[in-house]
Parts: sequence; C-alpha cells; structure tokens
Amino acid sequence: MKRKFKSWGTFLLSITLVSALLLTACSDGKSKSGAGGNGDKGGKAEKVELKLGFYSSAQSDAKMQELIDKFQSEHPNITIKTESSPYNQFFQKLDTQIAAESAPDLWLSDGVLVPKYAERGVLKDLTPLIEKDLKKDDYFGLDFNKDANGKYWGVPQGIQIAVLYYNKDMFDEAKVEYPTEDWTWDDLKAAAEKLTKDSTGKYANDSAFDKNKVSQYGLTFFSITEGWMTVLKSYGGGVLDETLTKSVINTPENKQALDWIVDGMQRELLPTPSDLKSFQSNMAPFPSKAAAMRIGIYARTIDANAAELNYDVTLLPKGPDGKRFSPVIANSWVINKKAEGAKGDAAWEWVKFWATEDEVQKEWASLGEAVPVKKSVANSEEFLSGKPENKQAFLDSFEFAGTLDVNAVWSEWVGKFNDNINRAFEGEIPADQALKQADTEVQQVLDEFYKK
Amino acid sequence: MVTPYLIHFVVFVLGSLLASLYFSFSDYDILNPPKWKGLDNYTKLFHEPVFWKALWNTLYFTILFVPLQTVLALILAVALNQKLRALKLFRLAHFLPVISSWTVIMYVSDAIFNPRFGFANSFLIKIGLDPQKWLQDEHLVIPLLVIIAVWKGIGYIMVIFLAGLQNVPSDVYEAAEIDGAGTFRKFLNITVPLISGTTFLVLILSTISTFQAFEQIYVMTGGAMDASSAGGPHKASLVLMIYLYQEGFSFLRMGYASAIAWVLFVILFVLTVVQMLLQKKWVHYE
Repeated sequence: MKRKFKSWGTFLLSITLVSALLLTACSDGKSKSGAGGNGDKGGKAEKVELKLGFYSSAQSDAKMQELIDKFQSEHPNITIKTESSPYNQFFQKLDTQIAAESAPDLWLSDGVLVPKYAERGVLKDLTPLIEKDLKKDDYFGLDFNKDANGKYWGVPQGIQIAVLYYNKDMFDEAKVEYPTEDWTWDDLKAAAEKLTKDSTGKYANDSAFDKNKVSQYGLTFFSITEGWMTVLKSYGGGVLDETLTKSVINTPENKQALDWIVDGMQRELLPTPSDLKSFQSNMAPFPSKAAAMRIGIYARTIDANAAELNYDVTLLPKGPDGKRFSPVIANSWVINKKAEGAKGDAAWEWVKFWATEDEVQKEWASLGEAVPVKKSVANSEEFLSGKPENKQAFLDSFEFAGTLDVNAVWSEWVGKFNDNINRAFEGEIPADQALKQADTEVQQVLDEFYKK
Repeated sequence: MVTPYLIHFVVFVLGSLLASLYFSFSDYDILNPPKWKGLDNYTKLFHEPVFWKALWNTLYFTILFVPLQTVLALILAVALNQKLRALKLFRLAHFLPVISSWTVIMYVSDAIFNPRFGFANSFLIKIGLDPQKWLQDEHLVIPLLVIIAVWKGIGYIMVIFLAGLQNVPSDVYEAAEIDGAGTFRKFLNITVPLISGTTFLVLILSTISTFQAFEQIYVMTGGAMDASSAGGPHKASLVLMIYLYQEGFSFLRMGYASAIAWVLFVILFVLTVVQMLLQKKWVHYE
C-alpha cells in the first residue's frame, strides 16, 4: 500500500511540475506583451527588442550583420535579435514558429512565398505605411507584391529579374553573331542549332550530329522562372488570369509556345528535364560551360563571374507578335501581423532604413546578388559597372516585367503544371493533351484553396 | 525516477500522438488553428488516385526489398560465420555503407547511374546495348532504389543474423554430420529453423523501415534540389512518407498529412499482427 501511494505521489508531483512549467511559460509571454503595450504609450526612448529573420548565405551574412549594427547605432532604443538558417530550413522552421506564435517580428521572404503567408492571414498589411512613407516611383518592384485587391504585403529587399545570358566564347567558336535586342524565339532557336554540339564536336545543323551525346546545349531551360513562363507569356499565353484564381492554360497561344519548346527539346537544342538531372544542379549547365545561352535572373551573375566565363547579357527574345516578358521576383521584407505597437513601429523602421537609405542600398548592391530596389542606386555607376558589361539590360527589362502569377498555392500549382508539361517535354504525350491535363489539375489546386 | 520518463511520455509521445489524431480530423494549415472537419480528410484520401499510387509504390518497394535483403543478408552472415582469414575486415567492409549517410550514397550511385556521365551507361554502350535513364526511368526507378537500399542496409541485417547464428549450438551440426548431412542439408534443416526467431525479428524490422522509407528516395530523386520533384519521375517512386511530407510541409495540409500517417499506422499494425500470427507456423523458440 505504502509503495503504491508513493508512486502515485510521484505521478501527481510530476503532473504538477509539468503544469507549473506550462503556466510559467504562458504568464511569461503575457507579461512581455504587457510591457510592450505600456511602451507604446511611454514614448520613443522605450527599449524594443526586435526579432529579425532572414535566410542566410555564406556570401551575404557578414554584410547583413554590418547593416544590422549600423541600424542599431542609428536607433539606440532598438535591439535586433537575428534568426537565420539556410533557405529550406528557414522556411520550414518559420511555419512551425508561426504555429507556436514565436515567429520573428519581421523576416525576409522569398518573393514567391509572400502570398502564401499574406493570404493565410499571417502578415501585416503594409499599404497605409507605404502610402505614408515611401514614394512609390522611387522604387522598383513595390507592385510585384501587390495582391489582386491592391494591397501591399511586403517591401522589396532586392529584385531578381531575368535576361538572356550568352557565352561569347561559344558564339565565337561556332562563328555565330551575338544575340541582339531584336531577337525572336525563332532567331534564338536558329542560333541554338548552330551552338548545340555533340561529344565528337559536330553541331546540330550537321546531319552526322548525334543527339544522344550532346556535350553542349544551345540554351538551358529549367522550370518556371528560368524556363517556360517567359516563352508562354511572350507568345501571348500565361497560366492564371488577373484574379490569380482561375487557370487560363488551355489556349492556342500556350500551345504554340509549347510546340516551340518541345521541338527544341526533342532536337536536344535544350536539355529535357531528365537531361538536367544529370547535372549536380539545375543551374549548372551555363556556368559549367555545357550551354551557350540561358534565361537567367540577376543572381546568376555570381556563378557566371565565379566561373570566369566570357559572357554578356541582353533582353530576352520577343514572341511572334513582338510581345516581350521578363519574369521578376521581388524578395521582400514582411512584417508579422502579431508585431504590434512599439515592435511594429521598430519593424517598419528597419524596412524604411533598408529601402530609403542610399548607403544601405549601395552596400547591399555591392554583394551583386540582387538588383537594388531604389531606382537612383540601380541607375548609379556602382551598380552598372563590372561584369557583365550590359547590366543596363536588367534595368531595361523592367519595362515588360511581370510576376510569376504568384498566389497562396504557387508552389503546388507549379508542381502540377510541371508534372504534365514535363511529359510533353520528354515526348511522352502530345502538347495539347499536356495543356488540357495541366489546366484541369491546376484549377483543382486553385479551387481547393479559393473556393473553401 | 519515473517523473522524467512520464514528462517525456506525456509531452513527446502521448501528446503528439493525440494531437496528430485530432489534426487528422481537421483542416489544419499549420499557420492557423485547426478546424474540425470530421472524416473529410479520410474521405478525400480514399478518393485520391495519388494516394493509391503512393500506397502501391510503397508495397512494391517492400515486396522487392524485404525478401531480397533478408535472403542475401542470411547468406552473407553464414559465409562470414566461418573461420576465414581477415574475417573482421570482410564484416567491416559490409558494414561501411550502413554508417554512411544517404547523401554520400547518392553521390556514389550517381557516379554509376548518371545517364550522361555514369559508368553503367558507358558499359552498356561498350557492349553494344542502349543506354538507360536509370533513376529517371519510371520502370527502373523502384527496382534500382531497392538494389541500392539492399546494398546499404545489408550489413546491419547481417550483424543481427551473425548474432543469431552464434547461438546455434555446434553439437547439433556435429550430430547431423555423423548422420551424413551435407553443407546444404545442414543449412536448410538446422540453421534456418534454429535462427527463425532472428529471421522473424528481421522481417518485422525491415517491413516497418521500408514502409517508412523517406530519406533515400527524397535524396536520390532530387528532393534536396526541389522538394516537389522528390518521388519522381512522374510519381513513379512517390512512397507514402514522401507524399505525407509534401502534403504536410510543402503544401500546408497538415490535417490531410496526419490522416495519411494514421492510415500508414493502421496498415503497419495489421501487417505486424499478421506476421505475429503467422510466426506460430514457422518460428521455433527453444
């Protein structure tokens, strides 16, 4: 009996301990937010601790810390606590942190993930703050985070916009004229034919060319951003309508664009998705000199420069009717909806610091990983000098830039689209069947989220 | 002494189990609190062709993997249970892949099966056959993954069998030899029945582990590059755990993903019970 009582006692004790632990955790959180509320009324000198999240990279971490230090010395009442991890882990952890209400007060979001959080009610609507504090015409890309209802959910941290990259040495070797700004996709294909080479050195326009042993592709091509979206849009097609809730995949324009791509892949002028798997990364063919051209965002200059390629960039080709399109991704600062009062104000201070101060913009631009958000800095010598020579092409592309039809279920519908269209790329099903199936499956994904 | 265990059990085992059971009956996107939906997730699951495809792929993987690995590991264990020179070296060599990470194995197998640069295709071309797409071929992907998984896992199962073999008393073999039994006869009539307890353990362990196969397929079908391409090509290697991961973590349908987990649990539970019942027919305990 005594023994039994003892073990029950331990059991009760442990339950009490656990609940005590949980209770303290809760009250701790409450007292903190209470202090924040008081601080709001207390005036500017109130100390604020701001939790700032960003995905880290070896190239940029030191610079980020430098800018954080600068911000703290300008705002002595704000202490920044950083939370960073590599891209994939960062976003996975973020989801669970949001669930546990311990997410950062503001974080750097991949541009294609902003609506994922905005439409699920996690982010703060920045429209009034932007209207009040930022002159929209001074910046690139504010509108790339605007939703179908005209609300802004983020302020760009850096812009990625795509152009056509070409390897000059390969063009010289094959005696092909460099791409011009007047090229159409058909001009590109004609050049690609002269630039695609097999392992015995024969080009694709030679009848002895062996397409099973390609050692150099004319153009490398991968998924949406650096692949099909540009072609579809410049042929007058696209994926979603302007409400971003309805698929417009099954159209004659898309069929025409798809025929262009499939023909190129069947002739191995472009690698098929399964060809690409032979490379360590989908981004590898151009910097590893296995492709003469690529559709590439600004960040790809880093690898091309590191590989010491003799390359340049120009505008992406036009469609048959002269239409142009350049995909854009605005990686952005977003603010947690739960960051209220002094914390919310401090978070906005950071966003303003980043976007408005020339010094900060220049420092970040010096890393060469994104086009600066502030137009005056993007147009300065600091940005435009250096390799590639024609950096102006990135800025000129803003004239016909568009987003990747990004919405709350973006990665899912892109997956469904790829599943179907990749079969057409491999020559397993005809293009019109791929479009029809993609249309049905993408619409299902959209309906499941938007028609709830 | 029981307190730390209880805390662990209540918070990390019972708590998470009950939470996932609750999520499986709700609409839960991780970012917002779950909403009760009754059986919706389960109804959707049973009407979803991708689920059936993933279930079939999982079964196919298991049916190929478990017998192949068990038989080969047993043969290997018997071979390495003899008095050989450099015995420890051989055992060690078979155990090395077990402790290597899947990422390393991925690079090794890529050197062999890469369609452009691997030796498998250079060899096929040399002997006049057509090159294959290997892991990018819908029909080859699962058999190839199974072969690689057997190669990696066999050392571990071999060690379990070795332990079992060392418990077989040598006088039984001596008696059989006096009766004139040959090597094969001894293996079939003495070794196999006397280590059936070990074999049973191996079967249960490897069935459960293949049903939960994730890392290998995720890494080897390109998940590290792009989570949505894991399980390819064209979902030919999409197993239940990869499907669960994509639904729950990539597409934020944690309620649906929890339903997949519970269905997986029920299947494993039933399979284990069936194996337990069958063991009476063939497993001998001393």
